[in-house]
Amino acid sequence: MMVSFFDQFASPSYLGIPLIAIAIALPWVLYPTPPARWINNRLITIQGWFINRFTNQLMLPLKVGGHKWALLLASLMIFLITINMLGLLPYTFTPTTQLSLNMGFAVPLWLATVIIGMRNQPTVALGHLLPEGTPIPLIPVLIIIETISLFIRPLALGVRLTANLTAGHLLIQLIATAVFVLLPMMPTVAILTAAVLFLLTLLEVAVAMIQAYVFVLLLSLYLQENV
Amino acid sequence: MLSRLVLVSGGLVQASRSFHQSSQSLAPVPPLPEKGGKVRHGIFPEELFTLLYPKTGVTGPYMLGTGLLLYMLSKEIYVINHETFAAASIGAVVIYGIKKFGPSVAAFADKLNEDKVAKAQEVKDQAMASLAQGIEDEKKEQWRVEGRHMLFDAKRNNVAMLLETNYRERLHMVTNEVKKRLDYQVQLQNLHRRMEQEHLVNWVEQSVIKSITPQQEKESIAKCIADLKVLAKNTQARATV
Repeated sequence: MMVSFFDQFASPSYLGIPLIAIAIALPWVLYPTPPARWINNRLITIQGWFINRFTNQLMLPLKVGGHKWALLLASLMIFLITINMLGLLPYTFTPTTQLSLNMGFAVPLWLATVIIGMRNQPTVALGHLLPEGTPIPLIPVLIIIETISLFIRPLALGVRLTANLTAGHLLIQLIATAVFVLLPMMPTVAILTAAVLFLLTLLEVAVAMIQAYVFVLLLSLYLQENV
Repeated sequence: MLSRLVLVSGGLVQASRSFHQSSQSLAPVPPLPEKGGKVRHGIFPEELFTLLYPKTGVTGPYMLGTGLLLYMLSKEIYVINHETFAAASIGAVVIYGIKKFGPSVAAFADKLNEDKVAKAQEVKDQAMASLAQGIEDEKKEQWRVEGRHMLFDAKRNNVAMLLETNYRERLHMVTNEVKKRLDYQVQLQNLHRRMEQEHLVNWVEQSVIKSITPQQEKESIAKCIADLKVLAKNTQARATV
């Protein structure tokens, strides 16, 4: 039962037990561990193929030092995409709508890339603050701008994911409410609105997958600069 | 202690076994079922229908489903609200996606597995082909071996001829050497005899010359002169005639 539309974003708890642990652990349950067989069933085959393909693509632009991040980035991607897609089901709670979770992913990972860059190749890392070919009078301003842009990155990463998912969920709720309310009054308009809802759901499916991918991709980009 | 652990783990294995197994041992690993469990309408397992069939016939499960749904709606255990429409929407998307892309995704997964099996099969086939080729080559070699004796005979003849030639040469050489030695001895003997003869002749001449006294010498010279005069007269006589 929803009192307001924002109750879906409240961290669920039952009899004082926070249920967010179950919500976050759910994606792990849905991906079975491959058994020690040579030929597996379709689910395991596709899962293995997808993870292999994805990690391969992600690691292509990275140098060998960045390949240490393969496990982290691939598992992050699977986690985010599963949580986002599961959140589209009715009556579910999406952990990635919580800013705390997304910042909890974005800030440490971004900071790790910056520290790796500063530690291993400080000159190159600092050199990223000034793009090539800038005219000389612009240099001081540009350095300030690039530094601000550098520090905005974790905020952008976290807030992008949160905002996209929250907005999407809210929109679905609103338009579904519109359909629900209009159905007894103006059925034709309700049907049109239902069509909008259907298209919106399609969009949300796409957004769910794309946002997870963008998150991981940007992290790999920051890593590529710094590793 | 360890045996108890084995029993407990064996029990756990039995407990975690799914429906479709037949053998009771741990090895060989039981094969995976070929197809997934049968379902009706995408989510309801066929076992439910089989379970209810003896008591309620074919329409039993459907009556159960409808009754359950109407019960929950009428008692407001499930209230229709905006989420219902969101659920309907996402349900439509999911069903559309599965119906449209399901078979192709399944075929893709099957193809991935089949490629894996085909690669292994190719290795096996290549190994078998190379082994069969090896058998063919071996048979050919065996056939070649049968004709080997002719080669050996020719070689043996060759070697015998060489040996014979060598022997003859050496015999020839030995003969020559021996002949040379014997010739030398013969020449030596001839030389000896000749030298003895000459020496004897010389000695005889010397002794004869020594034995001729001056008296005899004068007499012989006078006789020679007389003979010569007679011969001259004869010759003159013959010339005039």
